[in-house]
Amino acid sequence: MTTSAFLLEATGIRKSFGATSVLRGVDLRIAPGEIHALLGGNGAGKSTLIRIASGSLRRDAGSLSILDDGPHPIAVVFQELALLPHLSVAENIYLPRLRQGFVPVRAADRRKEARAALAQIDERLAREALDRPVAEIDLHERQLIEIARALGSGARLLFLDEPTANLTFAESERLFAILRRLAGQGISTLLVSHRMKEIRAVADVCTILRDGRTVVDRQPLATLDDASIVEAMGQKAASRAAPGPSTPCSAGSRPGAGTTVGIEGQGLSLTLEPGTILGLAGAPAGPGQLIDALVGAAPDSDWNVTMNGAAADLRSPARAVRQGIGYVSGDRAEKGLLTTLPILDNVVAATRVATRRWLARRPEATVAGDALARLAIKANSVDDSPLTLSGGTQQKLLLARWLEIPPRVLVLEEPTRGVDIGTKREIYALIREMAVLGTVVVWWSTEFPELIEICDRVIAFDLRGEVSGVIAGAQVNEVALARATGMAA
Amino acid sequence: MTDTIAGAPVQAPPVRPRRAGAGTRLLRVYRTEIAIAAAIVLIELVVSLWSPQALSFGNLANVAQASAPLILVSLGVFLVIATSGIDLSVGSTFSLTGMVAGLGLSAGLSWPVACLASLGVGIGVGAINGALVTFVGLAPFVVTLVTFAVGASLAFVVTDGHSIAILDPDFWRLNGGTLVPGVVNYVLFCIAGVALLEFALRKLVLGRWVYAIGSNAKAARLLGIPVDAVRFGVYVASGLFASFSSLMSLSYISNSEATSGANLMLQAIAACVIGGASLFGGTGSAIGAMLGAVMITVIQNGVNLIGINSFWQGSVTGLVILVAVLIDRFTKARA
Amino acid sequence: MTPFSMTPSPLRGLALATALALAAAAPAAAETKPGKKFTVAYIAPSLDISYWQWVAYGAKTKAKELGIDYIELDSHNSPVDQMTNVRTALTRGVDAIVMGPVSSASTPPVLRLLKDKNIPVAFTGIGPQPGETDYTSTVTANNYEAGREEGKFVCGLAKERGGNKVGMLSLPQDRENAQKYLKGAKEAFAAEGCDLVQVLQTKGLTVREAVDQTNDLLTRNPDVKAIYGMYDEAATGAAKALQTQGLVGKVGVATADGSPTTVRLLREGVIQGLFLQEAGGQGIEAVQQVYNALTGAPVTKELPLPEPLVTAKDIDSPEAQAKLKRVYPPSAGQY
Repeated sequence: MTTSAFLLEATGIRKSFGATSVLRGVDLRIAPGEIHALLGGNGAGKSTLIRIASGSLRRDAGSLSILDDGPHPIAVVFQELALLPHLSVAENIYLPRLRQGFVPVRAADRRKEARAALAQIDERLAREALDRPVAEIDLHERQLIEIARALGSGARLLFLDEPTANLTFAESERLFAILRRLAGQGISTLLVSHRMKEIRAVADVCTILRDGRTVVDRQPLATLDDASIVEAMGQKAASRAAPGPSTPCSAGSRPGAGTTVGIEGQGLSLTLEPGTILGLAGAPAGPGQLIDALVGAAPDSDWNVTMNGAAADLRSPARAVRQGIGYVSGDRAEKGLLTTLPILDNVVAATRVATRRWLARRPEATVAGDALARLAIKANSVDDSPLTLSGGTQQKLLLARWLEIPPRVLVLEEPTRGVDIGTKREIYALIREMAVLGTVVVWWSTEFPELIEICDRVIAFDLRGEVSGVIAGAQVNEVALARATGMAA
Repeated sequence: MTDTIAGAPVQAPPVRPRRAGAGTRLLRVYRTEIAIAAAIVLIELVVSLWSPQALSFGNLANVAQASAPLILVSLGVFLVIATSGIDLSVGSTFSLTGMVAGLGLSAGLSWPVACLASLGVGIGVGAINGALVTFVGLAPFVVTLVTFAVGASLAFVVTDGHSIAILDPDFWRLNGGTLVPGVVNYVLFCIAGVALLEFALRKLVLGRWVYAIGSNAKAARLLGIPVDAVRFGVYVASGLFASFSSLMSLSYISNSEATSGANLMLQAIAACVIGGASLFGGTGSAIGAMLGAVMITVIQNGVNLIGINSFWQGSVTGLVILVAVLIDRFTKARA
Repeated sequence: MTPFSMTPSPLRGLALATALALAAAAPAAAETKPGKKFTVAYIAPSLDISYWQWVAYGAKTKAKELGIDYIELDSHNSPVDQMTNVRTALTRGVDAIVMGPVSSASTPPVLRLLKDKNIPVAFTGIGPQPGETDYTSTVTANNYEAGREEGKFVCGLAKERGGNKVGMLSLPQDRENAQKYLKGAKEAFAAEGCDLVQVLQTKGLTVREAVDQTNDLLTRNPDVKAIYGMYDEAATGAAKALQTQGLVGKVGVATADGSPTTVRLLREGVIQGLFLQEAGGQGIEAVQQVYNALTGAPVTKELPLPEPLVTAKDIDSPEAQAKLKRVYPPSAGQY
């Protein structure tokens, strides 16, 4: 019956957590050798489905059949990288396959097997990196190691959740090339991504979830246009209709925030009027240095920053905050959220530093409540942990920190990473709103479309991290960005 | 922007066709350990400037004898630290199991039986630690702080605080006998313990699991490594090493005291850290822990031989640990 | 085995706080009876230390003999606990207090609290702060005199062995009794023509530490012919080190305190002299003094007990046996 051609076939999967019904009848079919995109807004049930399909969570109802072809036919390549940093690359690949404790490792033989698995992915990596500890390996290559590990364990189906969230364009291309090659060998990939462009570039078919149901079941991507995909996901395609101010607005509307910011360095001298949205484009090195300088994380930086003509004191993050520079990182877990503190503290954290007020006062709860309401953040209570919120909502929470101050400069580092389209729209609107109030926004993004849509000016950095040009106004387009950053197709 | 290479194909770096030679690899793996061994030799040489007897056979034997209990305790503590846990209870386990053995001997048990009873108590304490940490999910620091406190008090309770003189005429053999001709037992047990543990950690899957758990416990669990069983095991091993160490010490000094392990906990943790273990887990080696223990003893010995007021010992040991950690960090940053 | 307790470790304190609070409370509750009988409280600085247990034993035995009810409280080396204990004793309506204070400096607030209560108080082991007068009696060991006597004896041991170099295993020199012992010993060495070549201070008061220190002492100073022990474990450790090195008899050992272990070593000829610190005797005398105060009999304000010497030759004499019984209780071991 289920000896069909599908590697994985799930029908009518249901799952509830307490009273909340997360999956209410999901179908998913994956054929051998295909790259299959799994789409859906935040909370549509994608992660739950993956956990059930990979066997780490029990389903309440429905049938799940896997073309059993070995001990570990399905491997999840985790978004938070599941590697052992102190152990060598080779060992990371072979160790999970060894199930008996009291036996010799026979490292030399195992290493050969690991090398073969890694060579399937990348010959150069297999040659050079095998004996190095994972901690020394570049972040994007670690993902390749995880894939190699999955293959080494005999996986026929890979689950990749937002695999390009931390990758540059070139790194993403490399990954996709590998996935296509594996597909040619009959190994399938289930890909979760919010980036429409890359889905179109790499995936063959897609399944779309909405509110715990399959709304588009295994359709070739070629038969769907962007608008119908967005519609199927339940997010209004019309949201594009909210345009930002195309010209920098005057400082009149809110005098406190109206600061002219100067950025000098690498032969560049920019003056940003209040309300300017400045984009940063390119591989992480260049934008990273400028962002570190702005937020006070690089006191010895070559970049000089002035505010209303006077040099800004950016020798530490605390000084930067007091100078009125706000920062939101896309790396929520590491650099953003105070995960052990309630939502309240997360919202008012910046205010406390900016105002040097350390005694928590009662109105903070009101302030935080207002900020959450304005951002339509659904939380039961400001005393809950931020981890009870979904990824996109956590990101909005980080932005909420700066609403009440408001900062003179708001520095954003990939704020829409791993966020669904609907939430992205909300974040764009929020950024525009802050710009209207006179905040200078500095925004690094690896997604050119959003830079094109939102920014007044863009500093492009080349692959070595050096400024390759400033693109202004109408000249901000994909071709210009691609040429300047060396990153596009 | 001005570079001409930009268009040229990127030159692949020279490829190393084979792995580095076995010697080079050993040098790399045991870089920290070699540095500590060199530091120990250096300390001995410096001490011998004041006191030429420092390098005499007699003194080296004293150092070996003095470091033996610490080495054995440190091995167990290292296992726990390598999984990013901590065992604060070893000192009181040492005292308690020594008192149990002393009590057994004075009650007329033969010494092997008394030793088994004592080892059983050590394993029991380790099992309680392990169960509370893994199966109940309490923080290792809290759990072992509790067993430390309870163990320390029980060490007094079992004999009402009296110390017990061991009169069994054969018990000394455990420490001072020669199972293998030409090698005194305490040296033999230390070397065998270190060698076995090092072998298991490097060459057995189990050993690699220990490092894997310390490196990233969450990832290890996702990979299907039996995290709970291994964690439980290392705490049991730590209790076992502490009690065995206590027996060795007891066999040597033939006097069991309720406070005998009082300083051991911090010394053992220090030995592991000097030996290259990170308190966050995933690094270090059994050899390193042994060398760390030897270094602590050598410093104590050196301070006495030079004739520095023994109150300074703590400061000297502390500074040496700091220097060791700094050197380690500095060389790693450059590597 | 010394009237000054070891440096309090907060962790161990925690351990014992739990265990001993229970242990102390239970018998005390059983012994408090209504009626016209007197009740005396013995407040110990730390019952971890056998010395204080033995003082307690002496006090308890004497109280029983005099028909007085007896309760026991432990201050765990904490002046705060000590104050709490005094208040507890007052609440329980005791008629007299015998206490080993945590330190001399901790006594003024206690005496201030007791001033208007008309309750006799006697100190054992450690005297009150100089200048305080509102107490019944202080029963201490004459450490300075004992230091002189032992110094003279140890110097004699060295000379019998054809040398004049002696070494010392000392209590921590931040303690008043240790300073007095050392002062007396140094005067005796100077007078007798002996050379004190090294003083090693203990930190943990364990036999193990004393073994290592003796080894180091003899390594650095091979011509040392006698060892001065300031505490019981020092002699036990020194004896062990000499046995291992085959130096029994070639290096003489004497120590203050006395315990079943050192008495046995004395009989075996491994050590040559014991200067008995009458722990039990202090408890006995202190209870006698407060009883005198309660019944209107004359009291002795300053009562320094001598530390009589026993040697292998006279250990079995009735006089020596009587003295030993004033040191430790039968439950501790043989006399």
